[in-house]
Amino acid sequence: MTDDGFTLEELLISRMAREFEGNRLGVGASILSDLAARLAKVLYVPDLFLTTSSRAAADCGVHPKSLSDEWVLAGSARMSLDWEQMFRLIPQQRLQIWIGAVQIDRQGSSNISVIGPWEQPRVQLVGARGIPDDLWGCERLNYHIRHHSRRSFVERVDFVCGFGYTEERNAFRQRPARPGTVVSDLGVFAFDGEDGPMTIESLHPGVDFDTVQSRTGFAFDDERNAFPVTKAPSSEELDVIRNVIDPLGLRRLESAESSKALYLELWERDLATYGCRAGASVAG
Amino acid sequence: MNRPPDKAATIESIVADIEPGTTIAFGGGGLQRKPMLAASTIARSPLKNLDVISFLGGPEVDLLVGLDRIHRLHFAFVGFDGLGLAPNFRAARERGALEIVEYSEGLMLAALEAAAKRLPFLPSRFGLGTDVLNTRTTPFIEFDCPVSGERLIAVPSLAPDIAFIHVNEADRQGNALIHSDAFADLLLAQASRRVVLTAERVVDSLPADHSGRSTFISRLWVDTVVEAPGGGGVSAVYPNYRFDLPRILNYQEQPASDASLESFMVNSR
Repeated sequence: MTDDGFTLEELLISRMAREFEGNRLGVGASILSDLAARLAKVLYVPDLFLTTSSRAAADCGVHPKSLSDEWVLAGSARMSLDWEQMFRLIPQQRLQIWIGAVQIDRQGSSNISVIGPWEQPRVQLVGARGIPDDLWGCERLNYHIRHHSRRSFVERVDFVCGFGYTEERNAFRQRPARPGTVVSDLGVFAFDGEDGPMTIESLHPGVDFDTVQSRTGFAFDDERNAFPVTKAPSSEELDVIRNVIDPLGLRRLESAESSKALYLELWERDLATYGCRAGASVAG
Repeated sequence: MNRPPDKAATIESIVADIEPGTTIAFGGGGLQRKPMLAASTIARSPLKNLDVISFLGGPEVDLLVGLDRIHRLHFAFVGFDGLGLAPNFRAARERGALEIVEYSEGLMLAALEAAAKRLPFLPSRFGLGTDVLNTRTTPFIEFDCPVSGERLIAVPSLAPDIAFIHVNEADRQGNALIHSDAFADLLLAQASRRVVLTAERVVDSLPADHSGRSTFISRLWVDTVVEAPGGGGVSAVYPNYRFDLPRILNYQEQPASDASLESFMVNSR
Protein backbone atom coordinates (compact mmCIF):
# COMPACT_ATOMS: atom_id res chain seq x y z
CA MET A 1 0.00 0.00 0.00
CA THR A 2 1.38 3.39 -0.93
CA ASP A 3 0.87 6.48 1.16
CA ASP A 4 -1.89 7.33 -1.27
CA GLY A 5 -4.02 4.45 -0.10
CA PHE A 6 -3.73 2.04 -3.04
CA THR A 7 -1.34 -0.71 -4.05
CA LEU A 8 0.84 -0.96 -7.16
CA GLU A 9 -1.41 -3.79 -8.36
CA GLU A 10 -4.52 -1.61 -8.04
CA LEU A 11 -2.76 1.18 -9.94
CA LEU A 12 -1.91 -1.20 -12.79
CA ILE A 13 -5.42 -2.66 -12.95
CA SER A 14 -6.83 0.86 -13.20
CA ARG A 15 -4.41 1.87 -15.97
CA MET A 16 -4.85 -1.30 -18.00
CA ALA A 17 -8.64 -1.02 -17.83
CA ARG A 18 -8.47 2.09 -19.99
CA GLU A 19 -7.32 0.25 -23.10
CA PHE A 20 -10.56 -1.65 -23.75
CA GLU A 21 -13.31 -0.73 -26.20
CA GLY A 22 -16.75 -2.24 -26.50
CA ASN A 23 -18.28 -5.04 -28.57
CA ARG A 24 -14.99 -6.91 -28.75
CA LEU A 25 -13.21 -9.48 -26.63
CA GLY A 26 -11.32 -8.07 -23.69
CA VAL A 27 -8.63 -10.54 -22.67
CA GLY A 28 -5.97 -10.21 -20.00
CA ALA A 29 -3.38 -12.99 -19.91
CA SER A 30 -2.15 -12.04 -16.43
CA ILE A 31 -4.19 -11.83 -13.23
CA LEU A 32 -3.96 -8.04 -13.12
CA SER A 33 -4.89 -7.54 -16.77
CA ASP A 34 -7.77 -10.00 -16.45
CA LEU A 35 -9.02 -7.91 -13.53
CA ALA A 36 -8.55 -4.82 -15.68
CA ALA A 37 -10.95 -6.22 -18.28
CA ARG A 38 -13.52 -6.87 -15.56
CA LEU A 39 -13.06 -3.38 -14.12
CA ALA A 40 -13.54 -1.90 -17.59
CA LYS A 41 -16.77 -3.84 -18.06
CA VAL A 42 -18.17 -2.71 -14.69
CA LEU A 43 -17.37 0.97 -15.05
CA TYR A 44 -16.61 1.94 -18.64
CA VAL A 45 -17.37 -0.65 -21.32
CA PRO A 46 -20.57 -2.54 -20.49
CA ASP A 47 -20.54 -4.45 -23.78
CA LEU A 48 -16.99 -5.76 -23.37
CA PHE A 49 -16.94 -9.49 -24.16
CA LEU A 50 -15.29 -11.39 -21.29
CA THR A 51 -14.15 -15.03 -21.28
CA THR A 52 -12.14 -17.41 -19.14
CA SER A 53 -8.62 -18.12 -20.34
CA SER A 54 -9.80 -21.41 -21.87
CA ARG A 55 -12.65 -19.46 -23.54
CA ALA A 56 -14.94 -22.12 -22.00
CA ALA A 57 -17.19 -19.59 -20.33
CA ALA A 58 -17.67 -16.72 -22.74
CA ASP A 59 -19.68 -13.55 -22.97
CA CYS A 60 -20.27 -13.72 -19.25
CA GLY A 61 -21.16 -11.09 -16.72
CA VAL A 62 -18.79 -9.78 -14.11
CA HIS A 63 -17.82 -12.20 -11.36
CA PRO A 64 -15.25 -12.14 -8.58
CA LYS A 65 -11.96 -13.58 -9.78
CA SER A 66 -11.21 -17.18 -8.76
CA LEU A 67 -8.24 -19.49 -9.30
CA SER A 68 -10.82 -21.63 -11.11
CA ASP A 69 -12.67 -19.07 -13.19
CA GLU A 70 -14.31 -21.89 -15.20
CA TRP A 71 -16.35 -22.68 -12.09
CA VAL A 72 -17.37 -19.15 -11.22
CA LEU A 73 -17.84 -17.49 -14.60
CA ALA A 74 -19.98 -20.39 -15.80
CA GLY A 75 -22.77 -18.83 -13.76
CA SER A 76 -23.59 -16.27 -16.43
CA ALA A 77 -21.76 -17.41 -19.59
CA ARG A 78 -23.82 -17.12 -22.76
CA MET A 79 -21.65 -19.53 -24.70
CA SER A 80 -18.49 -21.54 -24.92
CA LEU A 81 -16.17 -19.98 -27.48
CA ASP A 82 -14.46 -22.75 -29.40
CA TRP A 83 -10.92 -22.13 -30.56
CA GLU A 84 -11.66 -22.39 -34.25
CA GLN A 85 -14.13 -19.52 -33.91
CA MET A 86 -11.61 -17.66 -31.77
CA PHE A 87 -9.11 -17.82 -34.62
CA ARG A 88 -11.68 -16.35 -36.98
CA LEU A 89 -12.40 -13.49 -34.57
CA ILE A 90 -8.71 -12.61 -34.30
CA PRO A 91 -8.13 -11.74 -38.01
CA GLN A 92 -11.25 -9.59 -37.86
CA GLN A 93 -9.82 -7.40 -35.09
CA ARG A 94 -12.31 -8.57 -32.45
CA LEU A 95 -9.63 -9.36 -29.87
CA GLN A 96 -8.14 -6.82 -27.47
CA ILE A 97 -5.39 -8.33 -25.36
CA TRP A 98 -2.88 -7.67 -22.62
CA ILE A 99 -0.01 -10.13 -23.04
CA GLY A 100 2.29 -11.09 -20.17
CA ALA A 101 5.55 -10.94 -22.12
CA VAL A 102 8.87 -12.02 -20.62
CA GLN A 103 10.98 -9.84 -22.94
CA ILE A 104 10.06 -6.70 -24.82
CA ASP A 105 12.48 -4.57 -26.80
CA ARG A 106 12.78 -0.93 -27.72
CA GLN A 107 11.03 -1.50 -31.05
CA GLY A 108 8.15 -3.32 -29.42
CA SER A 109 8.98 -6.89 -30.41
CA SER A 110 8.01 -9.45 -27.75
CA ASN A 111 9.06 -12.89 -26.55
CA ILE A 112 7.54 -15.61 -24.35
CA SER A 113 9.29 -18.57 -25.98
CA VAL A 114 12.97 -18.90 -24.99
CA ILE A 115 15.78 -16.88 -23.42
CA GLY A 116 19.08 -17.51 -25.18
CA PRO A 117 19.49 -19.67 -28.28
CA TRP A 118 16.39 -21.57 -29.38
CA GLU A 119 18.40 -24.75 -30.02
CA GLN A 120 19.42 -25.03 -26.37
CA PRO A 121 17.94 -22.14 -24.43
CA ARG A 122 19.22 -20.69 -21.20
CA VAL A 123 15.61 -20.54 -20.12
CA GLN A 124 12.83 -22.43 -21.84
CA LEU A 125 9.59 -20.51 -21.36
CA VAL A 126 6.15 -21.56 -22.60
CA GLY A 127 6.51 -21.32 -26.40
CA ALA A 128 5.24 -18.70 -28.83
CA ARG A 129 1.61 -19.53 -28.05
CA GLY A 130 -0.78 -17.00 -29.62
CA ILE A 131 1.44 -13.99 -30.12
CA PRO A 132 2.39 -14.78 -33.76
CA ASP A 133 -1.37 -15.04 -34.42
CA ASP A 134 -2.54 -12.00 -32.46
CA LEU A 135 0.11 -10.10 -34.43
CA TRP A 136 -1.91 -10.73 -37.60
CA GLY A 137 -5.31 -9.74 -36.29
CA CYS A 138 -5.27 -7.45 -33.32
CA GLU A 139 -5.16 -3.74 -33.88
CA ARG A 140 -2.46 -3.46 -31.25
CA LEU A 141 -0.73 -5.67 -28.70
CA ASN A 142 -0.53 -4.42 -25.12
CA TYR A 143 2.00 -5.84 -22.69
CA HIS A 144 2.01 -6.31 -18.95
CA ILE A 145 5.60 -6.91 -17.77
CA ARG A 146 5.67 -7.79 -14.09
CA HIS A 147 9.32 -7.16 -13.29
CA HIS A 148 10.96 -4.22 -15.01
CA SER A 149 14.63 -5.12 -15.43
CA ARG A 150 17.46 -5.19 -17.94
CA ARG A 151 16.44 -8.78 -18.63
CA SER A 152 12.83 -7.94 -19.49
CA PHE A 153 13.29 -4.57 -21.25
CA VAL A 154 15.98 -5.44 -23.78
CA GLU A 155 17.62 -3.97 -26.87
CA ARG A 156 16.49 -6.97 -28.96
CA VAL A 157 14.36 -9.92 -27.93
CA ASP A 158 16.03 -13.34 -28.13
CA PHE A 159 13.14 -14.87 -30.09
CA VAL A 160 10.60 -12.85 -32.03
CA CYS A 161 7.09 -14.05 -31.13
CA GLY A 162 5.61 -10.77 -32.31
CA PHE A 163 7.54 -8.06 -34.09
CA GLY A 164 7.09 -4.36 -33.40
CA TYR A 165 8.34 -1.42 -35.43
CA THR A 166 11.09 -3.33 -37.20
CA GLU A 167 12.29 -2.78 -40.75
CA GLU A 168 10.53 -5.78 -42.22
CA ARG A 169 7.21 -4.38 -41.06
CA ASN A 170 6.76 -2.73 -44.44
CA ALA A 171 7.44 -5.93 -46.36
CA PHE A 172 3.87 -7.10 -45.88
CA ARG A 173 0.73 -6.04 -47.67
CA GLN A 174 -1.48 -6.65 -44.63
CA ARG A 175 -0.83 -4.41 -41.61
CA PRO A 176 0.34 -6.33 -38.55
CA ALA A 177 -0.66 -5.24 -35.05
CA ARG A 178 1.05 -2.16 -33.65
CA PRO A 179 2.89 -2.48 -30.35
CA GLY A 180 0.50 -0.75 -27.95
CA THR A 181 0.81 0.19 -24.32
CA VAL A 182 3.37 -1.45 -22.02
CA VAL A 183 2.97 -1.40 -18.25
CA SER A 184 5.53 -2.53 -15.69
CA ASP A 185 6.02 -2.16 -11.97
CA LEU A 186 7.82 1.13 -12.71
CA GLY A 187 5.75 2.92 -15.31
CA VAL A 188 3.66 3.07 -18.45
CA PHE A 189 5.32 3.06 -21.85
CA ALA A 190 4.21 3.66 -25.42
CA PHE A 191 5.47 3.66 -29.00
CA ASP A 192 5.08 7.04 -30.59
CA GLY A 193 5.83 6.86 -34.26
CA GLU A 194 5.95 4.27 -36.99
CA ASP A 195 9.56 3.60 -36.12
CA GLY A 196 9.14 3.29 -32.36
CA PRO A 197 11.11 3.49 -30.18
CA MET A 198 9.56 2.84 -26.77
CA THR A 199 8.94 6.05 -24.84
CA ILE A 200 7.82 6.87 -21.33
CA GLU A 201 4.16 7.75 -20.94
CA SER A 202 4.19 8.02 -17.15
CA LEU A 203 6.11 6.85 -14.12
CA HIS A 204 4.38 5.34 -11.12
CA PRO A 205 4.26 7.38 -7.88
CA GLY A 206 7.68 7.52 -6.25
CA VAL A 207 9.58 6.23 -9.32
CA ASP A 208 12.19 8.49 -10.94
CA PHE A 209 13.73 8.41 -14.40
CA ASP A 210 17.15 7.24 -13.21
CA THR A 211 15.60 4.15 -11.63
CA VAL A 212 13.75 3.26 -14.81
CA GLN A 213 16.78 3.88 -17.00
CA SER A 214 19.07 1.82 -14.79
CA ARG A 215 16.61 -1.09 -14.94
CA THR A 216 16.13 -0.89 -18.73
CA GLY A 217 18.41 -2.62 -21.24
CA PHE A 218 18.27 0.23 -23.77
CA ALA A 219 18.52 4.02 -23.59
CA PHE A 220 15.33 6.05 -23.55
CA ASP A 221 17.04 9.17 -25.01
CA ASP A 222 14.59 11.30 -23.08
CA GLU A 223 15.66 14.80 -22.10
CA ARG A 224 12.63 15.74 -20.07
CA ASN A 225 13.30 16.78 -16.49
CA ALA A 226 9.91 15.74 -15.23
CA PHE A 227 7.50 13.00 -16.21
CA PRO A 228 3.78 12.56 -15.76
CA VAL A 229 2.81 10.40 -12.80
CA THR A 230 0.58 7.41 -13.56
CA LYS A 231 -2.96 8.43 -12.69
CA ALA A 232 -4.13 7.06 -9.36
CA PRO A 233 -7.14 4.76 -9.32
CA SER A 234 -10.35 6.52 -8.38
CA SER A 235 -12.17 5.63 -5.17
CA GLU A 236 -14.90 4.11 -7.34
CA GLU A 237 -12.32 1.91 -9.11
CA LEU A 238 -10.80 0.85 -5.82
CA ASP A 239 -14.22 -0.10 -4.50
CA VAL A 240 -14.94 -2.25 -7.56
CA ILE A 241 -11.52 -3.92 -7.44
CA ARG A 242 -11.66 -4.72 -3.72
CA ASN A 243 -15.33 -5.54 -3.29
CA VAL A 244 -16.67 -6.69 -6.64
CA ILE A 245 -14.05 -8.26 -8.91
CA ASP A 246 -11.32 -9.37 -6.50
CA PRO A 247 -12.65 -9.76 -2.96
CA LEU A 248 -10.33 -12.78 -2.44
CA GLY A 249 -7.28 -10.63 -3.21
CA LEU A 250 -5.82 -12.77 -6.02
CA ARG A 251 -4.08 -9.64 -7.30
CA ARG A 252 -1.56 -10.21 -4.49
CA LEU A 253 -0.27 -13.22 -6.48
CA GLU A 254 1.28 -10.73 -8.91
CA SER A 255 2.77 -8.55 -6.19
CA ALA A 256 6.19 -8.68 -4.55
CA GLU A 257 4.70 -10.77 -1.70
CA SER A 258 3.71 -13.67 -4.00
CA SER A 259 4.84 -17.05 -2.66
CA LYS A 260 3.84 -20.69 -2.50
CA ALA A 261 2.36 -20.05 0.95
CA LEU A 262 0.23 -17.22 -0.43
CA TYR A 263 -1.00 -19.47 -3.27
CA LEU A 264 -2.01 -22.15 -0.76
CA GLU A 265 -3.70 -19.62 1.51
CA LEU A 266 -5.71 -18.08 -1.33
CA TRP A 267 -6.52 -21.52 -2.75
CA GLU A 268 -8.12 -22.54 0.55
CA ARG A 269 -10.06 -19.30 0.68
CA ASP A 270 -11.14 -19.76 -2.94
CA LEU A 271 -12.39 -23.31 -2.26
CA ALA A 272 -14.22 -22.21 0.88
CA THR A 273 -15.91 -19.39 -1.04
CA TYR A 274 -16.78 -21.02 -4.36
CA GLY A 275 -16.54 -24.74 -3.66
CA CYS A 276 -15.26 -27.49 -5.92
CA ARG A 277 -18.29 -27.90 -8.06
CA ALA A 278 -19.74 -25.63 -10.66
CA GLY A 279 -23.12 -24.03 -10.69
CA ALA A 280 -26.26 -25.60 -12.11
CA SER A 281 -25.85 -24.17 -15.58
CA VAL A 282 -24.06 -27.21 -16.99
CA ALA A 283 -25.66 -30.47 -18.03
CA GLY A 284 -24.66 -33.68 -16.32
CA MET B 1 -32.47 -56.11 -32.48
CA ASN B 2 -28.74 -56.21 -32.96
CA ARG B 3 -26.69 -54.45 -30.34
CA PRO B 4 -24.42 -51.78 -31.80
CA PRO B 5 -20.71 -52.54 -31.55
CA ASP B 6 -19.24 -51.66 -28.18
CA LYS B 7 -16.12 -49.49 -28.41
CA ALA B 8 -15.21 -49.84 -24.74
CA ALA B 9 -11.70 -51.06 -23.94
CA THR B 10 -9.10 -50.83 -21.22
CA ILE B 11 -6.40 -48.21 -21.39
CA GLU B 12 -3.75 -50.91 -20.83
CA SER B 13 -4.83 -52.84 -23.92
CA ILE B 14 -4.76 -49.70 -26.06
CA VAL B 15 -1.32 -48.63 -24.90
CA ALA B 16 0.00 -52.20 -25.30
CA ASP B 17 -0.95 -52.05 -28.99
CA ILE B 18 0.89 -48.78 -29.68
CA GLU B 19 3.84 -49.44 -31.98
CA PRO B 20 7.20 -47.69 -31.92
CA GLY B 21 7.25 -44.62 -34.12
CA THR B 22 3.59 -43.83 -33.47
CA THR B 23 2.68 -40.14 -33.29
CA ILE B 24 0.55 -39.58 -30.17
CA ALA B 25 -1.59 -36.49 -29.52
CA PHE B 26 -3.10 -35.33 -26.24
CA GLY B 27 -6.18 -33.13 -25.96
CA GLY B 28 -7.12 -30.55 -23.36
CA GLY B 29 -5.11 -27.43 -22.63
CA GLY B 30 -2.63 -26.40 -19.93
CA LEU B 31 -4.09 -27.46 -16.60
CA GLN B 32 -7.49 -28.34 -18.03
CA ARG B 33 -8.94 -31.69 -19.03
CA LYS B 34 -5.64 -33.44 -19.66
CA PRO B 35 -5.72 -37.17 -20.45
CA MET B 36 -3.57 -38.05 -17.45
CA LEU B 37 -4.71 -41.68 -17.24
CA ALA B 38 -3.52 -42.18 -20.80
CA ALA B 39 -0.22 -40.40 -20.13
CA SER B 40 0.27 -42.40 -16.92
CA THR B 41 -0.36 -45.70 -18.69
CA ILE B 42 2.18 -44.76 -21.36
CA ALA B 43 4.57 -43.78 -18.56
CA ARG B 44 4.22 -47.28 -17.04
CA SER B 45 4.71 -48.98 -20.42
CA PRO B 46 8.07 -49.55 -22.10
CA LEU B 47 7.21 -47.07 -24.90
CA LYS B 48 10.06 -44.67 -25.69
CA ASN B 49 11.15 -42.20 -28.35
CA LEU B 50 7.61 -41.00 -28.87
CA ASP B 51 6.54 -38.31 -31.27
CA VAL B 52 4.05 -36.29 -29.25
CA ILE B 53 1.65 -33.55 -30.31
CA SER B 54 0.13 -31.30 -27.67
CA PHE B 55 -1.52 -28.09 -28.81
CA LEU B 56 -1.39 -26.62 -25.30
CA GLY B 57 0.76 -29.00 -23.28
CA GLY B 58 0.61 -29.32 -19.52
CA PRO B 59 1.22 -32.02 -16.91
CA GLU B 60 0.94 -34.87 -19.46
CA VAL B 61 3.88 -33.48 -21.42
CA ASP B 62 5.92 -32.69 -18.33
CA LEU B 63 5.41 -36.20 -16.93
CA LEU B 64 6.48 -37.93 -20.13
CA VAL B 65 9.43 -35.58 -20.67
CA GLY B 66 10.46 -36.13 -17.04
CA LEU B 67 10.53 -39.88 -17.72
CA ASP B 68 12.47 -39.33 -20.97
CA ARG B 69 9.79 -40.87 -23.17
CA ILE B 70 9.44 -38.11 -25.73
CA HIS B 71 11.81 -37.90 -28.67
CA ARG B 72 10.09 -35.00 -30.40
CA LEU B 73 7.34 -32.65 -29.26
CA HIS B 74 5.05 -30.59 -31.50
CA PHE B 75 3.42 -27.79 -29.49
CA ALA B 76 2.24 -24.20 -29.34
CA PHE B 77 2.51 -23.93 -25.55
CA VAL B 78 3.75 -26.04 -22.65
CA GLY B 79 3.19 -24.81 -19.11
CA PHE B 80 1.13 -24.92 -15.95
CA ASP B 81 -0.91 -21.80 -16.82
CA GLY B 82 -0.96 -19.42 -13.85
CA LEU B 83 1.16 -21.80 -11.78
CA GLY B 84 4.30 -21.33 -13.81
CA LEU B 85 6.57 -23.16 -16.23
CA ALA B 86 6.55 -26.92 -16.81
CA PRO B 87 9.77 -27.85 -14.99
CA ASN B 88 10.82 -31.11 -16.65
CA PHE B 89 10.07 -29.73 -20.11
CA ARG B 90 12.13 -26.70 -19.23
CA ALA B 91 15.05 -28.73 -17.87
CA ALA B 92 15.13 -31.08 -20.86
CA ARG B 93 15.19 -28.19 -23.31
CA GLU B 94 17.92 -26.41 -21.38
CA ARG B 95 20.00 -29.61 -21.50
CA GLY B 96 19.43 -29.78 -25.24
CA ALA B 97 17.81 -33.17 -24.67
CA LEU B 98 14.40 -32.62 -26.27
CA GLU B 99 13.68 -32.13 -29.97
CA ILE B 100 10.81 -29.70 -30.51
CA VAL B 101 8.73 -28.37 -33.37
CA GLU B 102 7.39 -25.00 -32.29
CA TYR B 103 4.02 -23.83 -33.59
CA SER B 104 1.83 -20.90 -32.71
CA GLU B 105 -1.74 -21.66 -31.74
CA GLY B 106 -3.08 -20.52 -35.09
CA LEU B 107 -0.49 -22.54 -37.00
CA MET B 108 -1.27 -25.72 -35.03
CA LEU B 109 -4.98 -25.27 -35.73
CA ALA B 110 -4.21 -24.86 -39.45
CA ALA B 111 -2.06 -28.01 -39.43
CA LEU B 112 -4.81 -30.05 -37.77
CA GLU B 113 -7.44 -28.59 -40.09
CA ALA B 114 -5.33 -29.63 -43.09
CA ALA B 115 -5.07 -33.14 -41.64
CA ALA B 116 -8.82 -33.29 -41.02
CA LYS B 117 -9.47 -32.33 -44.64
CA ARG B 118 -6.75 -34.70 -45.88
CA LEU B 119 -5.00 -31.77 -47.54
CA PRO B 120 -1.21 -31.49 -47.78
CA PHE B 121 -1.27 -27.96 -46.31
CA LEU B 122 -3.42 -24.93 -45.61
CA PRO B 123 -2.40 -21.29 -46.03
CA SER B 124 -2.02 -19.00 -43.04
CA ARG B 125 -1.05 -15.45 -42.35
CA PHE B 126 -0.48 -16.19 -38.65
CA GLY B 127 3.21 -16.31 -37.81
CA LEU B 128 4.54 -14.24 -40.73
CA GLY B 129 7.70 -12.35 -39.85
CA THR B 130 8.23 -14.18 -36.55
CA ASP B 131 10.95 -16.57 -35.44
CA VAL B 132 8.54 -19.51 -35.50
CA LEU B 133 9.49 -19.61 -39.20
CA ASN B 134 13.21 -19.56 -38.43
CA THR B 135 13.74 -22.57 -36.16
CA ARG B 136 15.81 -25.55 -37.33
CA THR B 137 12.77 -27.82 -37.28
CA THR B 138 10.20 -25.42 -38.68
CA PRO B 139 7.71 -27.20 -40.96
CA PHE B 140 6.38 -23.92 -42.38
CA ILE B 141 7.08 -22.74 -45.92
CA GLU B 142 6.52 -19.17 -47.10
CA PHE B 143 4.99 -18.71 -50.53
CA ASP B 144 3.38 -16.02 -52.66
CA CYS B 145 -0.36 -16.50 -52.80
CA PRO B 146 -1.47 -17.43 -56.35
CA VAL B 147 -4.72 -15.51 -55.80
CA SER B 148 -3.76 -12.29 -54.04
CA GLY B 149 0.01 -12.23 -54.51
CA GLU B 150 0.61 -11.58 -50.81
CA ARG B 151 3.15 -13.55 -48.86
CA LEU B 152 1.58 -16.40 -46.89
CA ILE B 153 2.68 -19.50 -45.01
CA ALA B 154 2.02 -23.06 -46.15
CA VAL B 155 1.22 -25.01 -42.98
CA PRO B 156 1.79 -28.73 -43.62
CA SER B 157 -0.81 -31.18 -42.40
CA LEU B 158 -0.18 -32.70 -38.97
CA ALA B 159 -2.07 -35.98 -38.55
CA PRO B 160 -1.66 -37.84 -35.24
CA ASP B 161 -1.68 -41.63 -35.49
CA ILE B 162 -3.60 -41.76 -32.23
CA ALA B 163 -5.23 -39.06 -30.12
CA PHE B 164 -6.19 -39.33 -26.45
CA ILE B 165 -8.97 -36.95 -25.41
CA HIS B 166 -10.46 -36.81 -21.93
CA VAL B 167 -14.21 -36.07 -21.88
CA ASN B 168 -16.86 -35.70 -19.21
CA GLU B 169 -19.15 -38.43 -20.46
CA ALA B 170 -19.35 -40.87 -23.34
CA ASP B 171 -21.54 -43.75 -24.43
CA ARG B 172 -20.25 -47.14 -25.57
CA GLN B 173 -20.54 -46.20 -29.23
CA GLY B 174 -18.22 -43.23 -28.79
CA ASN B 175 -20.60 -40.30 -28.63
CA ALA B 176 -19.26 -37.89 -26.05
CA LEU B 177 -19.76 -34.58 -24.32
CA ILE B 178 -17.15 -32.11 -23.16
CA HIS B 179 -18.71 -29.67 -20.73
CA SER B 180 -17.38 -26.37 -21.97
CA ASP B 181 -13.59 -26.18 -22.34
CA ALA B 182 -13.26 -28.06 -25.63
CA PHE B 183 -10.10 -26.23 -26.75
CA ALA B 184 -9.25 -27.76 -30.17
CA ASP B 185 -10.36 -31.27 -29.27
CA LEU B 186 -13.19 -31.64 -31.77
CA LEU B 187 -10.74 -30.68 -34.51
CA LEU B 188 -8.07 -32.97 -33.03
CA ALA B 189 -10.51 -35.88 -33.18
CA GLN B 190 -11.17 -35.15 -36.84
CA ALA B 191 -7.47 -34.82 -37.68
CA SER B 192 -6.36 -38.09 -36.04
CA ARG B 193 -6.21 -41.55 -37.58
CA ARG B 194 -7.38 -43.16 -34.37
CA VAL B 195 -9.27 -41.52 -31.50
CA VAL B 196 -9.40 -42.83 -27.94
CA LEU B 197 -11.70 -41.12 -25.48
CA THR B 198 -11.16 -41.47 -21.77
CA ALA B 199 -14.36 -40.49 -19.97
CA GLU B 200 -15.16 -39.50 -16.43
CA ARG B 201 -18.36 -41.47 -16.91
CA VAL B 202 -19.50 -44.03 -19.47
CA VAL B 203 -23.27 -43.99 -19.83
CA ASP B 204 -25.77 -46.13 -21.75
CA SER B 205 -26.96 -43.14 -23.69
CA LEU B 206 -26.16 -39.46 -23.60
CA PRO B 207 -29.01 -37.02 -23.11
CA ALA B 208 -30.65 -36.35 -26.47
CA ASP B 209 -30.83 -32.67 -25.63
CA HIS B 210 -27.37 -31.46 -24.77
CA SER B 211 -27.94 -27.77 -25.26
CA GLY B 212 -25.81 -25.31 -23.38
CA ARG B 213 -22.08 -24.89 -23.50
CA SER B 214 -21.14 -28.51 -24.00
CA THR B 215 -19.33 -29.80 -27.08
CA PHE B 216 -20.62 -32.97 -28.68
CA ILE B 217 -18.19 -35.42 -30.28
CA SER B 218 -19.87 -37.89 -32.62
CA ARG B 219 -19.11 -41.62 -32.60
CA LEU B 220 -18.18 -41.15 -36.27
CA TRP B 221 -14.88 -39.70 -35.09
CA VAL B 222 -14.25 -42.12 -32.24
CA ASP B 223 -12.66 -45.57 -32.22
CA THR B 224 -12.36 -46.47 -28.56
CA VAL B 225 -13.88 -45.46 -25.22
CA VAL B 226 -12.26 -45.98 -21.84
CA GLU B 227 -14.07 -45.40 -18.56
CA ALA B 228 -11.74 -43.21 -16.52
CA PRO B 229 -13.21 -41.52 -13.44
CA GLY B 230 -10.58 -39.09 -12.21
CA GLY B 231 -8.72 -39.61 -15.50
CA GLY B 232 -7.82 -35.93 -15.67
CA GLY B 233 -5.49 -36.44 -12.70
CA VAL B 234 -4.03 -33.18 -11.43
CA SER B 235 -5.70 -31.19 -14.20
CA ALA B 236 -9.14 -29.61 -13.91
CA VAL B 237 -12.15 -31.39 -15.34
CA TYR B 238 -15.04 -28.97 -15.25
CA PRO B 239 -17.45 -29.36 -13.51
CA ASN B 240 -16.23 -32.56 -11.83
CA TYR B 241 -13.08 -31.30 -10.14
CA ARG B 242 -10.63 -28.42 -10.07
CA PHE B 243 -6.92 -28.74 -10.81
CA ASP B 244 -4.88 -29.91 -7.82
CA LEU B 245 -3.00 -26.77 -6.89
CA PRO B 246 -1.14 -28.10 -3.81
CA ARG B 247 0.05 -31.18 -5.70
CA ILE B 248 1.24 -29.14 -8.66
CA LEU B 249 3.15 -26.70 -6.45
CA ASN B 250 4.81 -29.61 -4.63
CA TYR B 251 5.75 -31.21 -7.96
CA GLN B 252 7.45 -28.01 -9.05
CA GLU B 253 9.82 -28.11 -6.09
CA GLN B 254 11.43 -31.44 -7.09
CA PRO B 255 10.04 -32.21 -10.51
CA ALA B 256 12.47 -34.95 -11.47
CA SER B 257 12.07 -37.00 -8.29
CA ASP B 258 10.33 -40.37 -8.41
CA ALA B 259 7.85 -39.15 -5.80
CA SER B 260 6.89 -36.10 -7.88
CA LEU B 261 6.52 -38.07 -11.11
CA GLU B 262 4.48 -40.68 -9.27
CA SER B 263 2.27 -37.91 -7.85
CA PHE B 264 1.19 -36.97 -11.41
CA MET B 265 0.22 -40.56 -12.27
CA VAL B 266 -3.34 -41.80 -12.35
CA ASN B 267 -4.30 -45.43 -11.72
CA SER B 268 -6.94 -47.10 -13.82
CA ARG B 269 -9.87 -48.31 -11.83
